[in-house]
Amino acid sequence: MNSCFAIRYRWAIIILTAVIVVASIVPITRIKINPDMESYFPDKMESKRNSDKIEMVFGDQEQIVIILETDDVLKTSTLTRIKDLSDHFKEISGFSNVRSIYDITSIKGENGEITSCSLIAYPPTTDSEIEKLRNDIKSNENIYGSIISKDFRYTVIILNTKDKTSDKEYIGLIKETLNLLPGRENIYINGVPFLRSEASEKIGNDIILLLPIGLIIMMLFLWISFRDTIGVLLPFSVVIFSIVFSMALIPLLGWKLSIIGVLIPIMMIAIANNYGVHFISRYQELCSAKPDSSIAEIVKECLKFLLKPVIFCGLTTIAGVLGLVLHILTPASQMGVVVSIGIAFALLLSITYVPSLLSVLKKKNEYKSFNSKRKGALFSVLRDTSRLVTSKPHRVIFIFLAFLFLSAAGILWVKIAPDSNRILPGDHSYNKSINIADKYLGGSKIINVLVEGDIKDPVLLRKIENMERELEQISFVGSVTSVNTIIKEISKAMNNPEDSLYNRIPDTREAVSQYLELYNMNGNPEELENFTDFDYTKALIRIQFKANTIGEINLILKKIDEAKTNSEMTILTGGYCLVEKNMSETIVSGQYYSLIFAVTAIFILLTVIFGSIVAGVMGTIPLLYAVLVTFGLMGWIGMELNIVTALISSISIGLGVDFTIHLFWRLKKELSAGMEYHEAILTSVTTTGRGIAINALSVMIGFSVLFFSEFPLIRSFAFLIILSLLLCLICALILIPSLCIIIKPEFLKKDKT
Amino acid sequence: MKKEKIGKRAITYALFALLISVLLMSAGENEDIKAKDICLKSASVVEFNDIKLSVTLRIYNKDGAERVRKLSSVTKKYGEEGKMLLRFDQPADYKGTTMLIYDYETKSDDIWIYLPSLRKSRRIISSEKGKSFMGSEFSNSDMSKPSLNDFTYKILGSENIEGHDCWKIETIPNEKAVAEEYGFFKKISLIDKETFLCYKFETFDIKGVLIKTALLKQYRQISEYKYMAMTMEMKNEQNGRRSVINIDNYSEGVSLTESEFSPSKLEWLSTCKL
Repeated sequence: MNSCFAIRYRWAIIILTAVIVVASIVPITRIKINPDMESYFPDKMESKRNSDKIEMVFGDQEQIVIILETDDVLKTSTLTRIKDLSDHFKEISGFSNVRSIYDITSIKGENGEITSCSLIAYPPTTDSEIEKLRNDIKSNENIYGSIISKDFRYTVIILNTKDKTSDKEYIGLIKETLNLLPGRENIYINGVPFLRSEASEKIGNDIILLLPIGLIIMMLFLWISFRDTIGVLLPFSVVIFSIVFSMALIPLLGWKLSIIGVLIPIMMIAIANNYGVHFISRYQELCSAKPDSSIAEIVKECLKFLLKPVIFCGLTTIAGVLGLVLHILTPASQMGVVVSIGIAFALLLSITYVPSLLSVLKKKNEYKSFNSKRKGALFSVLRDTSRLVTSKPHRVIFIFLAFLFLSAAGILWVKIAPDSNRILPGDHSYNKSINIADKYLGGSKIINVLVEGDIKDPVLLRKIENMERELEQISFVGSVTSVNTIIKEISKAMNNPEDSLYNRIPDTREAVSQYLELYNMNGNPEELENFTDFDYTKALIRIQFKANTIGEINLILKKIDEAKTNSEMTILTGGYCLVEKNMSETIVSGQYYSLIFAVTAIFILLTVIFGSIVAGVMGTIPLLYAVLVTFGLMGWIGMELNIVTALISSISIGLGVDFTIHLFWRLKKELSAGMEYHEAILTSVTTTGRGIAINALSVMIGFSVLFFSEFPLIRSFAFLIILSLLLCLICALILIPSLCIIIKPEFLKKDKT
Repeated sequence: MKKEKIGKRAITYALFALLISVLLMSAGENEDIKAKDICLKSASVVEFNDIKLSVTLRIYNKDGAERVRKLSSVTKKYGEEGKMLLRFDQPADYKGTTMLIYDYETKSDDIWIYLPSLRKSRRIISSEKGKSFMGSEFSNSDMSKPSLNDFTYKILGSENIEGHDCWKIETIPNEKAVAEEYGFFKKISLIDKETFLCYKFETFDIKGVLIKTALLKQYRQISEYKYMAMTMEMKNEQNGRRSVINIDNYSEGVSLTESEFSPSKLEWLSTCKL
């Protein structure tokens, strides 16, 4: 690649660029959204495999939960609405199962009789009927506190979906039904299909909202920087072309747009103009300085001056972002590929399309931005900074180290998000619904435990019972249900309270068999098969609980594990909450892999570029500093590590390294020109430092658009990436010069790079 | 004059239309009565006053896994009251589990169950006839004679099934409560025009979606007007499960006395020779 190439083939380059961009628009129209968090993780994950195995035996465990809230859910009007809603949902094909208070079979024994009937068939109309129903509910431990809250303010309608692909349709049907059958009750919905549907809608909204805002902000920033139409339109067109090209890669590579994918266009806005901006800046500088030079000469000189640093910066950014490829999260890995190729495309356009187009445009000899004599506040700050650095380098380093240790201590308190609930805002009806379920309805999380063996064997049933007892002692466990719940229900119906067999697993296999057959005759055989398979060789224990931390989920798993070890049962644990837990834990390992890859790649690149290992070490110091302090501050301010915030290290490393490269480049130039370290640092920080600061500012402004996202975790990402970039900038302009004053590295004095 | 003529003609047309409507309506009513009669005859032709059976009940899940139950039953009618005893013979786990049913024409049945493992019996109070019969896809209502006045009947037409020219009769519960009790909102039966034997029936839910399909096969003539389906198959169209009842043995004449069809005798009935 040389200057002649960009000028000689300028029309071919311009036309080829246009063709590539137009051709990229076609695949973009085929982009599909994938809001299913579970699919973001590889199938080899143990919890995912176990959950799939459990679903193969006991069917799809996915549910949509509709919570109704009113002062008393047993009011005739509320119970009438629940019946109408429940009947209507049963009439809509699509839901495999609909459960409300009307679908509870009550099997009770009294005076030698077993009464087997629906808990409630029709809404009660008189006060005495309502109070009788209230007492019946209070005495039914299977529903009191789970289907109906103990204060009778909440009740649920649970819908099982048939397939996972049409969440939006299901939610549409539910909302339509709720509108068709209005009432005074407040309605809250939760369940994975609802979460996916809401997230899917917000992903689309985010792209529609953030992209134009990001582009407008970037355009304003370019205008403020260059005060020239060409100066705005050229880098801006590079941004647009890079976004189109990178987004087209998603369907072309057979991928779907995930919640993480929202970051792709915004990252391109923040990064893609970096290289073009440098070119325009140099172009304007030369046009003003050399009014007599021809346009071809100026373009050629720009390329000569910028080609190497721009390519190096581009490569290091790509290396950092490529660290995401090793991430365990599939969309993060895909984003690493897409953004890396997008950056490479932006880099290529900046050294081909931008000079080619500039060379065919009319040259201006005066640019406002270069004629101003005012140096501005930024210059003063940089000048004072460089003076401090050169006069008291040891003190600067001490302050940096102290701040590092204080901040990084917070890493000990960094929490990992236990679930995906925080994807949606805290005040979203989904999260309100989760809070209600946690507080009043036994919990919003479910762990399914599959036990293998002879399910009619009382010995095995007692082992399960012991495990259930242990689990029920945990304060945040709402309910534990299994085939034992049914067996005990029948034992209460068949025996009087004073009998030894009342509410007890019987001693013989025959009795267990006969209890289960009795339930089949009087209850619902399909309900029994929610807890044991057809052959009575597998049983399912369903643990309903609330948990805010991974530690709480681990406590339940520990109890299950202990029971497994003590009783030698064959057990599998699964459930969406375990997949989420597994996801969160793998995020940490994914973070390590990405970080190690990015730092190693950048270390090697810097070592090669500057021909020195010291350069590699010094260049990575600001990056590690920024990562450690950012994670430390996350711990101190209580921000969680989640699927999005876990991406910051790779991205900030890839972008932050540019600042150090530019500084090294300038220092090298000044030192080669014969300056001493003090003088070279003063000059570099006040001149190139200004460019670095503006560059950093433009990237930060680009990412600041994410503050408008509908996803709180994307907003957290914006805060953390900006913080991290700011730290990289401060390190590049203060810490690195201080180190240079003390170490006086040889690689900066070498003539050739 | 002309106006007068037109008026007379209009009255004549109106009266004629009214007459036609009345005739049509009464024809419709007759059709309904006919449909009900067909169903009544169809129920009677398979109703036995005094019979002993050995049956095998096979229950299949949607994957084809099988559960086998062997049962003995005796039925005897005392006046308007039918008394039935059902006893599990196999598998060994259930052996001796016994149900005693008093089947009434005008009120809910009385049911008792005896569990040999506990040596205890309990009376079961339930008005829901749509519940599973012995954990199979058959419901209790499929096993007993329905209260014909709870339903409205209609002949939909004719249909041929395996060479039998049948009436296609629609049965609709008169009230939602009846539908919920029996577990269906519509039933379509194919009843042989000659023998009144039902060869197939389908039940539908509130949405009009098919719930179950029953096939009754291998009818055997027991006496002059009495037949018995030796094989009955019920398929649950919504969950893919299937149950088949085969009559292995039958004989007319029950040795048990009326007093032995008693809840207090259940322990003895669970082991005695039927």
